Amino acid sequence: MPLSVDARWDLIDKISKQTVEFGARKHTLKDAIAELTVKPLTGIPVAIAVIYGFWSFFCDFAGTLFTDGFMVRLFDEHWLPWLQSVFPGGLKNPFYALMVDAGHIEGGVLVASDNCFEAFGVLTSGFFVVFGVVLWAVLAFYLMFAILEDAGYLPRLAVLVDTVLHKIGLHGYAIVPTFLSLGCNVPGVTATRPLETRKQRFMMMTLLAIFVPCGAQIGIMQDLVPEMMGWIFLTLAIGYLGFGFILNKIVPGKSPELIMDVPPYQMPTLRNIVRKLWIRTSRFLIVAVPFVLLGSIIVGLMYLTGAMDWLAAVLGPLLMGWFGVPSETVAPLIAGFLRKDLAVGILGGLMEQGIMTTFQVFTSVILLCIYFPCLATFALMLKEENGKEILGSLASLVAMVFVYGGLIHLVGIMLGVA
Amino acid sequence: MKILLMGHPNVGKSVFFNRLTGAKVLESNYPGTTVDFMKGWMRLEGEDVELIDVPGAFSLEPKDRAEEVAVKMLAENKDSVIVCVLDASKIERGLYLALEIIEKGYPAVVALNMWDVAEDKNIRIDVEKLERILGVPVVPTTAISGEGFKELVSKIKEAAPVKIEKIIESAGGRESAAVS
Amino acid sequence: MKEGEEKFGQIYFAVLGVVALAFGVAELIASAGEGFTWGILDSSGASDPMFLPWKAIILLAAGLFYLSSVNNFAEVHQLAKAVMASIMIWIVAGMAIWARIASSIPGEETWFNNLEGFLASYAPPYCPEMFLLLFSLVIVYYILKEE
Ligand SMILES: Nc1nc2c(ncn2[C@@H]2O[C@H](COP(=O)(O)OP(=O)(O)O)[C@@H](O)[C@H]2O)c(=O)[nH]1
Ligand SMILES: [Mg+2]
Repeated sequence: MPLSVDARWDLIDKISKQTVEFGARKHTLKDAIAELTVKPLTGIPVAIAVIYGFWSFFCDFAGTLFTDGFMVRLFDEHWLPWLQSVFPGGLKNPFYALMVDAGHIEGGVLVASDNCFEAFGVLTSGFFVVFGVVLWAVLAFYLMFAILEDAGYLPRLAVLVDTVLHKIGLHGYAIVPTFLSLGCNVPGVTATRPLETRKQRFMMMTLLAIFVPCGAQIGIMQDLVPEMMGWIFLTLAIGYLGFGFILNKIVPGKSPELIMDVPPYQMPTLRNIVRKLWIRTSRFLIVAVPFVLLGSIIVGLMYLTGAMDWLAAVLGPLLMGWFGVPSETVAPLIAGFLRKDLAVGILGGLMEQGIMTTFQVFTSVILLCIYFPCLATFALMLKEENGKEILGSLASLVAMVFVYGGLIHLVGIMLGVA
Repeated sequence: MKILLMGHPNVGKSVFFNRLTGAKVLESNYPGTTVDFMKGWMRLEGEDVELIDVPGAFSLEPKDRAEEVAVKMLAENKDSVIVCVLDASKIERGLYLALEIIEKGYPAVVALNMWDVAEDKNIRIDVEKLERILGVPVVPTTAISGEGFKELVSKIKEAAPVKIEKIIESAGGRESAAVS
Repeated sequence: MKEGEEKFGQIYFAVLGVVALAFGVAELIASAGEGFTWGILDSSGASDPMFLPWKAIILLAAGLFYLSSVNNFAEVHQLAKAVMASIMIWIVAGMAIWARIASSIPGEETWFNNLEGFLASYAPPYCPEMFLLLFSLVIVYYILKEE
């Protein structure tokens, strides 16, 4: 027999007397501030400020202080000349060219390089990319990331952007793999594991691998073309959102929400931060260093054997015709299979030789980002996806590169800059 | 199995709905009325379950169109779990509807939403005790920041029907309830 | 918070809010064009064209936060808005200072900067957020008061 209205109210009264209490607590300043970070109207400007802090710290720590402040001098003024003087062989010796300095033609004669971007040697360019530029970029990135993560800001940012990301079939959680990928795509791809369905994982991995440049790459780009960074990020973000929208429409399957744990805000502890930094940075080095060195060797060998010139001749018309970049970009594109940072480094060498227009540099940098994930990421995707999905990934890769690369060229032509 | 989000108007049901469901949601019109409601899917232990944002209702004795629809939807979905969304700062009012739902024999989970507001108003709720008395999972949540959602979702499978006599007993018996 | 303190806070942060808004607008204009230097105030987009518009947006938001905190300033949620505005300014200004520190340590010709060069990196002109930083520190008094 159902309770009467009065009996129900009596019961409620009874329950609330035992469980509800008027304590002495009121919102503290901390609670009130925390609230401001999650309400959209106030939360979005706060998020902009946080991300602003994130990137300016990154740029000045990695770029201004370490790379430009110390590493460029160390490598160009000490390491390179020292190797040039003590390494056996000489400019025309193939082994010397591979390891130290390939030199370049100036006025018909082969001259020695005066900076590590142009030298193209394993010990010079290779080491400079890893230890001169990328290490600091990755360190700065992971430091900021760990702070945001441990303070509890990350899941709240995810909740904040959830509604927006729903429009492209993603969720707030996508912030986590995306952000992580900005450090290195490998942990980014790993972070797609909590996603519920294959569709979501497939979409996320594809978008990450194509449109999210890693910290290594960003560090090098920041060093080479700082004035273009805004446009580069804008172009990539448009690609990410646009192709996310399209993929969501054409990939079959569902994309249910992933509910994240939202712990209270807290002060990050130094110990935890240091531990995370150490683990992530050392893991990164273990993955990156062999690939960069291997990449330098392969690219060096291809130059020496003439394979690069042959490829450039074959692919040149396609590169020039469809994407509007010179055939010399073949070399960085080859290196990009192994490491994107090394590839951008090689591109830097080409830039210093002055064979590209500004717009071609821009297009090449974007192409390098999107044309293929680096080998480490690709290997991980092979492991994470099944056969059909791999084919799907590759197909979307090819489609996206041609569509988007061509589109950028087209926009360039229309604006009269290409 | 379906999950129905029920509660008073303005307690945060729609925020719940948006956070819990995927990107694909359907807005539909309840047949023969002008009342709209949202329908979506969420993932629960590897299964897709339907989630419905039921129009706000104060009680199951309908006084307007929206409440009529809410009551009809409840009746049509006998096999569903009800997530009762309460405003934690006005818990007594919300409990009325929650008790009605429990009385009808539905497995329920109680979400004490607006937990942040309750905290700010000096209101403290002994969640464990409330859970013991009601016999259903009770989870404090703050929908706008996402706090508590993970726990709420993990508790949905624990929801089971409870006899109202049990609740009266745990609360201290029918007589004393009537007296106080 | 005493009544006098509340009154002072209201007036002070209303003014600071207006100034922050003005600086935000100025930086927005600067980011579109060449930038400007006015006495010891400098807002040239040359150094970081990519950051300037964002900086402007943050200063604008901080200004709005200050202004919206003024009504019933002593109430904790209102005060929190002023605190948040200050924190946003601290982030932007902190990064401007950090940029100077980062470029002051390495030298032009030598590994480390000499004292002269080091100090010269901290010479005026300063960007708008550094001035805001100075005046926003008043909020610390209110934060301590609240706790
Ligand atoms: N402070 C606070 N506001 C909330 C919370 N949950 C929802 N709201 C706000 O309450 C309002 C009503 O929410 P809504 O989901 O539309 O309620 P519905 O009528 O039950 O669907 C919205 O402005 C929400 O932002 C919460 O946990 N804390
Ligand atoms: Mg609603």
